[in-house]
Amino acid sequence: MASILKLDRLSKNFAGLAALKDVSFEVEEAGLFGLIGPNGAGKTTLLSIIAGSIQPTSGSIVFQGHEISGAKSYHAVRVGIARTHQIPKPFRGLSVLENVEVGLRFGHSKRSADKTKSGMEFLERVGLAPLSLMPASTLSVGDMKRLELARTLAARPSLLLCDEVCSGLTETEAASILELLCDIRRAGTSILYVEHNLRAIMSVCDRVIVMNSGQKLAEGPPEAVQNNPSVIEAYIGKRAGA
Amino acid sequence: MNQNAPSSRHSISKLATSAPPLILLAILALIPLAEPGPNTIRLLFVSLVWVTASVAWNILGGFAGQVSFGFAVFFGLGAYTTAISLNAGLDRLSSLGLAAIVGAITSLLIGMPTFRLRGPYFAIATIGVSEAVRVVMTNLAVTGGASGYRITEKGAFNQHLHFYMALGLAAAAVAISMRIRYSKFGLALIAVREDEDAASDLGVNPFATKLLGHAVAAALTAAAGGVYAGYAAFVHPNGVFGFDISVAILLMPTIGGIGTIWGPVIGAVVYGLVQEELIASFPQFHLLLYGGLLILIILFEPGGVLGLLKKSFRLLRARTGIGVHT
Repeated sequence: MASILKLDRLSKNFAGLAALKDVSFEVEEAGLFGLIGPNGAGKTTLLSIIAGSIQPTSGSIVFQGHEISGAKSYHAVRVGIARTHQIPKPFRGLSVLENVEVGLRFGHSKRSADKTKSGMEFLERVGLAPLSLMPASTLSVGDMKRLELARTLAARPSLLLCDEVCSGLTETEAASILELLCDIRRAGTSILYVEHNLRAIMSVCDRVIVMNSGQKLAEGPPEAVQNNPSVIEAYIGKRAGA
Repeated sequence: MNQNAPSSRHSISKLATSAPPLILLAILALIPLAEPGPNTIRLLFVSLVWVTASVAWNILGGFAGQVSFGFAVFFGLGAYTTAISLNAGLDRLSSLGLAAIVGAITSLLIGMPTFRLRGPYFAIATIGVSEAVRVVMTNLAVTGGASGYRITEKGAFNQHLHFYMALGLAAAAVAISMRIRYSKFGLALIAVREDEDAASDLGVNPFATKLLGHAVAAALTAAAGGVYAGYAAFVHPNGVFGFDISVAILLMPTIGGIGTIWGPVIGAVVYGLVQEELIASFPQFHLLLYGGLLILIILFEPGGVLGLLKKSFRLLRARTGIGVHT
């Protein structure tokens, strides 16, 4: 299958600190790709670079055959890459529906077929429709997470970058979000899913990459990665006496 | 649920929001016919010029959250552009149009370097630019330097004409502000105010959005300066480029209710009317009063006069039980 995103030796230094070192991988068209690793592994940094929020020090990002490294985030959204934030960033002074309208009206320019969809449809998908007229500032943390996802989906990405969309949610809420991600993927959107929680990612992803200290540690199907000795070491530590 | 209810409620609410402004406009337009005397007309004229500048500043400062202390630049350039064009033989409307264009172009020149700065840095930069322009204009020989520039009046002075120009411009400013607030552009301005990075992550170009907001606000402020110059027939740098003009322009929306449609209008009228009375009685004291007022607003009612009115109205409704939604 063709790849929608191709990263080649991507590096990022923050004032001498190497947050990412030569990371390369590909995300398949309509794939659900998991990105895991312990705290400080560079997952969010990697996501931010792909989304254009921060610029890489070196390396290349090819999206749908075009080099996009160095592009600003609003440009990335318009060509079809949209991200969610681990800590939700709602427009507090706007209503829940208006938050979604921003993604709807400024998002991906090519997927115009979806433009006829209303903001309400995206709110319904995450279960926020009854709160559409509330100011976003009044939402609970869980609802803010759902709003974050709804307005990112409203930007109609071809590649959705999810940053820990399930953290802070109850088991049931998390399950419904994971189900939604699977639906979105079935509808043809590729997903790169960053998650701290191993169980969540192993249950839905068809391929997983493990990062540690800014480098790629392992890559493969979830089961294979789960039994990889170096992955176990990074998460739990070495077996005593080994 | 009745399927028709939301749409009919929508058209009623649309009528309810558009009717009062039109009635207000009609009343204001009829005032000169009642011959209230030149002093009242002058007072209304000044207030309407302030309304335009206040509403304009609010497009950038209120909607997009970019606080500028430098709007005297546009007011002053508009005043000088209009004065020079009138003397060169251009008609009044074209002179105002030219003033607006000069204001918009200047705003781009100021915005391109300063909008790369965020938060307080933008505000500080606008003070510097504004003072620099005032100093240049004070020393520019072509426009008479510090002693000012006079418009040679052709024909008799017609106060009503100036009043109607100020009214027309103020009405246009409010209409533009309303139009922007509920447009795609308005959504971008507010998204930038709320969270610039999040806005960019959803496809909004924050830099271009701020530049355009600045340009619209500058064009309207310059036109307001032009209308003022046409009436005064004399402009001088410390008058139209003064820092107190910049402060007044940002004070009015803050008094009335920042980021709203009608707050800046209310603030401008309060400022225009109160200032005239206060300056006459206490030439220095009025600034102290505004300083005190600003502190009180920021501390107790950031929504300004409009916020206070809304709160009182809600309280009244709750007490009397009128129109309470069940």
